[in-house]
Amino acid sequence: MPLIHVSGSEKFVFKERSSDDLRAIASKFVSLHTVDADAEQTIDPLTYEVIRHRLSAITDDMGDALKRMSGSVVVTDCNDFNAAIADETGNLILVGQYNMQLAASLDMAIKWTLEHRSGSPGLRPGDMFFCNDPWIGGGLHQNDASVFAPLFYDGELFAWSGAVCHQVDLGGVSPGSWSVAGTDVFWESTPVPPVKIVEGGNLRPDIEDMYLRRSRVPKLIALDLRAKLGANNVAQQRLTQLIDKYGPRVVKAVMKRMMNDAEKRLRAKLRSLPNGTWGAVAHQDSARAGDNTIYKIVLRMTKHDDKLVFDFTGTDPQVEGFINCTFAGVRGGIMPIVMTMLCNDIPWAPGGIYRCIEIISEPGTINNCTFPAGIGKASVASAWATQNAVSECVAQMVGTHPQHRKAAMSCCQGTWDLALLAGVDQRGAPFVTMLCDPMAGGLGARVDQDGVDTGGQMPIPMGRIADVEINEFSFPMLYLWRREETDSGGPGRYRGGLGGSSCFIPHDSPLQGVHLVVSAPGKALPLAPGLAGGYPSATSYDVLMRGTNVRTMLAKGFIPGNLEEIDGRHEILPSHVETDMAAADVYFTHWQGGGGYGDPLRRDPQHVAVDVASLRVSPRAASDIYGVMLKTDGTVDASTTEARRGELRRGRVDAGTA
Amino acid sequence: MIQLDDNLTLTDDGTVVCTHCKTRLGETSRDPLAHAVRRERPSRDAGPGVHADPKNFTAREIVLRQFFCPGCSTVLATEIVPGDEPSFRHWHLDATASQR
Repeated sequence: MPLIHVSGSEKFVFKERSSDDLRAIASKFVSLHTVDADAEQTIDPLTYEVIRHRLSAITDDMGDALKRMSGSVVVTDCNDFNAAIADETGNLILVGQYNMQLAASLDMAIKWTLEHRSGSPGLRPGDMFFCNDPWIGGGLHQNDASVFAPLFYDGELFAWSGAVCHQVDLGGVSPGSWSVAGTDVFWESTPVPPVKIVEGGNLRPDIEDMYLRRSRVPKLIALDLRAKLGANNVAQQRLTQLIDKYGPRVVKAVMKRMMNDAEKRLRAKLRSLPNGTWGAVAHQDSARAGDNTIYKIVLRMTKHDDKLVFDFTGTDPQVEGFINCTFAGVRGGIMPIVMTMLCNDIPWAPGGIYRCIEIISEPGTINNCTFPAGIGKASVASAWATQNAVSECVAQMVGTHPQHRKAAMSCCQGTWDLALLAGVDQRGAPFVTMLCDPMAGGLGARVDQDGVDTGGQMPIPMGRIADVEINEFSFPMLYLWRREETDSGGPGRYRGGLGGSSCFIPHDSPLQGVHLVVSAPGKALPLAPGLAGGYPSATSYDVLMRGTNVRTMLAKGFIPGNLEEIDGRHEILPSHVETDMAAADVYFTHWQGGGGYGDPLRRDPQHVAVDVASLRVSPRAASDIYGVMLKTDGTVDASTTEARRGELRRGRVDAGTA
Repeated sequence: MIQLDDNLTLTDDGTVVCTHCKTRLGETSRDPLAHAVRRERPSRDAGPGVHADPKNFTAREIVLRQFFCPGCSTVLATEIVPGDEPSFRHWHLDATASQR
């Protein structure tokens, strides 16, 4: 069925309004605290720094509360969550250093709530709102469920706190809400616009029941919900203590100054960079199971004086599939890159940083889709691809500055190679989980150094992966290996960081197997491009081996170290597939690394030799891509290397066209 | 002069030259790589990192598209993209190095 516009869905689209407009709307129903413009000038530097760091510590405390209370490995061990503090009209004062994609749109949800919920059901002390509607904000797909709360002080709405986590299952056709065959949002978890889930400090059981009823693992989701309530409670207590100590005028003045400082310093940095336009394209191969179309997001980033314009004109129309993202996804693709690459020495106060940015994006495209386009995979699909394009443009711009260039980085892990398992665990309980091993990522190469092997991902500074043993303890699976993969980092003068692979079998489930959902683009082409001639990272590569002899091998005490050692039927998996794994099946998933920087023929041959010795680069790549010939003892053969590099250089221009 | 990246330098008159051999490559205000050598090959020529034949996953031809310095053969730009798609990776600067 084609995508047909749903009349009335316009209400649930975030519309940018000024703080003054929002204040005018909300102040009919609730008193909003504010300070005059002069207040921040009266704050002495020491008080400013003390309170600024205290606010930062509060988001850390919120993260700790989330991790301690959640029962989901995705949260407790992989940090796929974030927390934020906003001012009275929803401008983000700071976000935590966890998944910044998730927090990049919390302000949208808060502002929508101010506009649409201030009158009814109203905003009162002790209230909290739940939202997982990405058209409104608060997350990039429905699994990014957020809880945010107004903070009242002396009867005035002073600020907001917010927490958002990836939830492992919120319903929909397929386990994990990852409906790979889906063509629109109705295959997926139903988006919930902001609802008051806590009223006057009491969790509303009717709202909670409505929320949990949709999940395949409601107890786990209930625990995560309480973790988010707890994180907001922590924030509210700490913020109240801070205001008690310093007074509301001083604390609010610091909040405003944090955003103003971030804006001022980012504008100054932008002015130090040349004016210009940089273009990029980010692809995705397949929008759903059975689809082999390649889709593109096109970006022209223009920097003029102290402003950045991200223009996505030319991006493909939204598609019948689940890879689209909403405007929240565009922001989620922009803000983490701007913060890590441009604001590495500037406070991460998105409310100020957003003032330096303009986004041009046509509604109805794959990274600004309209209801009811499918968005179940938005976070690691079109939002991620947006991020790739933004990363490429910002890095090239930053790379022109003699000092700032050190912050430039080639694209990190171009996509998330998702494996989602579901079934009955070794304790006989239903389970669903997203395997977060790709969180290990692989960072892009820098202008003066290699990318960090399995160094994570730029938008999730505090991302991590669960120990193999934690995954095996938590889920009915047994690893054959998890490791960094040879040649997975993009070649270059500086090599992209390696990605990795995991290989496992179902283990100890009463069902003798598990359900498997695979969702991984980047198989037809790599999605982490390099810079300055550097090559892209490896492609994603997933293989399912059916009917293997692996259990016989294990019974004999032999653990296979590669797929070639295993007998069985070898299936190279497409980008999207849903299937079952039987007891004798083996699944291998290989995620991408980072892009390279510079010409690989200019890489120090000694570094290539070290790479080959440490299995980071294969002898074939050393010869064919780096032009480095090694002796039998692994050392560089200087004369044949010089000859090989000369041969490769001649081949480049002889076969090319001017 | 402005060092644009590992291989490209912008001179005071707006010309982009190869950092390594000083060959003139183009103008920053128009096409900075106008005189570069362009070459397209099957994507698997990018090395063993391209694991499987793209034909397994798409009907479109996927190519390794590169631009080289005509003077010293340094690779200046690399992308792996559908072969029937133009390059979207254009850039230009509004200012010459002396105007910075």
